[in-house]
Amino acid sequence: MSNTLQRGDQSEIDEGDDRRESLLRLVAGASLGGSLLTFLVAPWLTVFFVIAFLAVVGYGWFAYQERTAKGLMFLATVSTALVLVLIIAFLFIRSLPAFGHMGLEILYTDGDFWSRANDWYSLYPAIWGTGLTTILATIVAAPLGIASAIFISEIAPPWAHEIVKPAVETLAGIPSIVYGFIGFTIINGYMMDNFGLTSIGSIVVVGVVVGLMALPTVASVAEDAIASVPDHMKDGAAAIGATKWQTIKSVTIPASFSGVSAAVLLGVGRAVGETMAATVILGNVMELPEPLYNVFGNTVTLTSLIASQYGNSHGLHREALFAAGVILFITVMALSVTAQVIEARVKRNLGGDL
Amino acid sequence: MSNRMNEPQEPAESNRRSTDSVTQTTAGESQEKTQPEWTEYEFQGDPKFSVEDLDVYYGDEQALQGITMEVPENSVTALIGPSGCGKSTFLRCLNRMNDRIKSARVEGSVELDGEEIYQDGINLVELRKRVGMVFQSPNPFPKSIRDNISYGPRKHGELETGLLARLRGTDSTDREQQLVERCLKQAALWEEVSDRLDDNALGLSGGQQQRLCIARCLAVDPDVILMDEPASALDPIATAKIEDLIEELAKEYTVIVVTHSMQQAARISDQTAVFLTGGELVEFDDTDKIFENPESQRVEDYVTGKFG
Amino acid sequence: MSERSLQYQSQNALTVEHSPTLTGLSVVPIGLFLVAFVVGSATLAGRLGFESPLFGLALETVFTALLFASGACLLATGAASRLEIVDTTPDRSAGVGVASGFGFVAFSAIGLTASQTFGLGGVRWALPASVVGVLVAGSILFAREDFGVTVPSGLFSLLIGGLFLFDVIDPSWTFSPAGFGVTFFGTVFVPLLTIVASFVGAWAAANAFQGFGAAGRQAGAFFLIGTNAALILLVLVLLIAFIVKNGFGYAVEGIEIGPGLHFHWPFVMDGYDVFLGQKGIFPAIVGTFWLVVGAVVLAVPIGVGAAVFLTEYAEQGRFTSVVEVATNGLWSTPSVVFGLFGYAFLVPRLGNNTSLLAGMIVLGFMLLPLVLITSREAIKSVPDEYRDASAALGVSKWETIKEVTIPSAMPGIVTGVIIGIGRIAGETAPILIVTADNPQRKFAPAVLGSFEFTATPPFIVNDALLSGSSALPYQLYGAITTGVVGDDPGYGWATAFVLLLVVLSFYVIGIVTRMYFRKKLHA
Repeated sequence: MSNTLQRGDQSEIDEGDDRRESLLRLVAGASLGGSLLTFLVAPWLTVFFVIAFLAVVGYGWFAYQERTAKGLMFLATVSTALVLVLIIAFLFIRSLPAFGHMGLEILYTDGDFWSRANDWYSLYPAIWGTGLTTILATIVAAPLGIASAIFISEIAPPWAHEIVKPAVETLAGIPSIVYGFIGFTIINGYMMDNFGLTSIGSIVVVGVVVGLMALPTVASVAEDAIASVPDHMKDGAAAIGATKWQTIKSVTIPASFSGVSAAVLLGVGRAVGETMAATVILGNVMELPEPLYNVFGNTVTLTSLIASQYGNSHGLHREALFAAGVILFITVMALSVTAQVIEARVKRNLGGDL
Repeated sequence: MSNRMNEPQEPAESNRRSTDSVTQTTAGESQEKTQPEWTEYEFQGDPKFSVEDLDVYYGDEQALQGITMEVPENSVTALIGPSGCGKSTFLRCLNRMNDRIKSARVEGSVELDGEEIYQDGINLVELRKRVGMVFQSPNPFPKSIRDNISYGPRKHGELETGLLARLRGTDSTDREQQLVERCLKQAALWEEVSDRLDDNALGLSGGQQQRLCIARCLAVDPDVILMDEPASALDPIATAKIEDLIEELAKEYTVIVVTHSMQQAARISDQTAVFLTGGELVEFDDTDKIFENPESQRVEDYVTGKFG
Repeated sequence: MSERSLQYQSQNALTVEHSPTLTGLSVVPIGLFLVAFVVGSATLAGRLGFESPLFGLALETVFTALLFASGACLLATGAASRLEIVDTTPDRSAGVGVASGFGFVAFSAIGLTASQTFGLGGVRWALPASVVGVLVAGSILFAREDFGVTVPSGLFSLLIGGLFLFDVIDPSWTFSPAGFGVTFFGTVFVPLLTIVASFVGAWAAANAFQGFGAAGRQAGAFFLIGTNAALILLVLVLLIAFIVKNGFGYAVEGIEIGPGLHFHWPFVMDGYDVFLGQKGIFPAIVGTFWLVVGAVVLAVPIGVGAAVFLTEYAEQGRFTSVVEVATNGLWSTPSVVFGLFGYAFLVPRLGNNTSLLAGMIVLGFMLLPLVLITSREAIKSVPDEYRDASAALGVSKWETIKEVTIPSAMPGIVTGVIIGIGRIAGETAPILIVTADNPQRKFAPAVLGSFEFTATPPFIVNDALLSGSSALPYQLYGAITTGVVGDDPGYGWATAFVLLLVVLSFYVIGIVTRMYFRKKLHA
């Protein structure tokens, strides 16, 4: 930490200043560390350290503005990473008892799934439900999202571009609870009336709705990837007399394939983590669909399990919900990291040009 | 600072002279447009392209004004001029690549072998098959060398390989091999890559990539090859190879080259067109005549390096 | 010249002529698809019923006629092209994609019929299905493209039309596939099949319209992609229209303007009080407002600061890539996980109950990656010339950042923040876990009036910040789960309407700002 801070650009500061500055940095660091520590163990004391930190920063700002600013910005950067670290730490700590109690049966079990009377919490149905809805959502979001990306970046005439691109973004802006509300009031009833479903809520409705919600993510990330294929490469195909569609199919999409697959992965991540629509639409019963692939059946997802049971949970029950959070987090993080690795490799392979 | 700016006297003077000549000609133009500064270029044989009164606009800006010229076939035509003079724009009009720029508007007439290419119902695919193009920076596809060359014929349904084609008896693996070999030989690249045809083309050097792009263009069997500063991104050795290649190609194809290097134009071309700022064609004639005894004062100033 | 004699194609004409016959024949199925889509959707939505005739025709007859007309047109187009009555440029084959598509349709149709209608099990349904599927795919592969595209899609339409005509499938038909708890009724299945079959027909017709070949395939593909874009637009418009239609009336009921400055909008300005007969969402609006303000105050300085540090100061290396991975990870972390984290980390330390402050911080953490990513993009896109020009004048790096870089990046940063706000304003799951209180509240949290100084640390307290609150999305969730919607659906729709209005205005403002700055940049 201090290394980076010392890499100052100005050198015309005499030694006295230098010493005073290191002292300041020390005090600032100590007070900030103290704030964090006290917040973790004794929150009522935090205020003293915060005041100390503010005082040091305030003095530093007037004395050495550039270095103080740089230090603060460095702290901002570190704290972004720190948020993730804190999330990981708290999720894991809170879920450990559940993992310890249930062992591997938390992931898969033959017998009972969920019983508060027996303190028995297996997440198997929720994992299965999440998998099933995510597959359905991906079937909707991936092809339609990629098609919209192609439309926006390659095919649309200017007027259509001006309409469709904001429309896709707006689709991303509609809150998930609104999708859930429509699913709950309209689609669930429609499915019961017209498809003879016997229970409120079904996996297929959640899958399609969540797919629609993940579509903008796929579309906008894939659009970035497709648009970054350099024009001169497409010109090359056009100059040989390839049609636009041939160019898209055989030059643009292959060249941006990695970016497009990263888009799909991120879309899958969105679908896995989508909470409110699933919570409101599904029946949230801790059961597997019967048979397993019955997409018209009812079940629960990891997200809807947490949201629907959180309010009245205690002890191990609550810790089991944290375990559900851990599984969600690991899945989504794995998807995110894979997507980034793919994108980084593309950049490296094509010299950052693409 | 200001002292140093004033030091070199000569360029300042030549600047003034050139501006003078510009004002003169614009005055002359306004009097009568029928009498250009040069007599029309006359040559034996048929013209490949006949361009008449071609205007190009990018948005509100005019990039070419009233270009009229005829390009002879099976020869090298060089287009030279200072940057921003519209020579690349002109080149891109000849295979309608300007259609790909949304703000571009083209007026006037361009005939290829006597057929208007700016008429309704023109088949752009067919046009670009006949009029190939090589770009400033090499742009091979991120595919193998073989696939780069067979790309065009494949897209035009002339080559088919694979299991299905074999089932249907239309497999053309042998023809593909012949084609790849012929095009690479014509582009003087065969010797260097014959043992790694299935390697990714992005692994080639810049000069090799550019020759691959020429080979790729030859594979669809064009009549005309347009080249937009094909050697500007290359080192002198690679440039020399491309120049030799251009002269070789002119035996069978009509080659039109945009270049910013007057020496290059003098070395490789049979005739040269000079474009000057504002997008006008100032003179078009045999290359020797342009460089030794141009009719236009402005062209003389330009080729002798007085401005531009 | 000898080398060029390798050429194996004659030169085609430079111009293409579309024969009016071909154009006429191929436009019809596209038009019929539009009709089928409108009538079919109206039937699916319950606007048209099979018992009530349309223009004096039974609805079923309309669907049958549409399919027969479309199929006949396609077959005629294919025949005209194959017999070279019209000029087309078909390829040798329609290709593997088309062949396997129709092959799969044939396989599924035969398989479903055999297994469900005739009750054949295991191999006995798979065998005929595979044989027919392969036969269909194979014959398409070996037919010329014009036949390979038009004949199977035309036959598909005719087949479905035939099923309707001979009442094999009619509105009273039902189908319950074994293993799924679902029943397909003819009332749904007939319009659905009509739309699907006429869509396939329209694709084939788009292909024919451009005379098959490369141009035809492009037309077909663009038809599919364009339809997709149009459908997305349609979904968006329907969603919004639906909510406005159902919620607007309830939301604006009882607005009083005047006399003088008196203005009262009950739904937006009242609390929820059953005894007073008030059903308003004012507390939720105020709650959302404070949540957004708190999140912005927390996330914007940190996010922008980190973005400046990463772009201007940090050297690209392990440190920056770790932060990048963490940022993107935060971006993808599900909102419910943020909620869990807030509950474990913040709630015990902020008075041990759900609170507005905890909600602000959690939403701030969610906003952070959005702000960081968009600000970084904006700062990166400031041209280096600006920085060089400033440095060449002897201005220090920090001054350059302050005076040149950040102002130039401002439009991008502002847009990112606005769109980010739109996103967190609609978040429900974290609020549900860390801020939740009674969703239908009487009074709004009085944040400004609740600051109090104390003699003991932390010296300043604010009860309103430290107690739970409602928020618009949470109010809607509460209305669903507590059954308020069941008794009074209009209340739910109106809440959804106000929520959508708030969130989408942020989006619209953000998008319009971006367009404005882009235009200014290009001008």
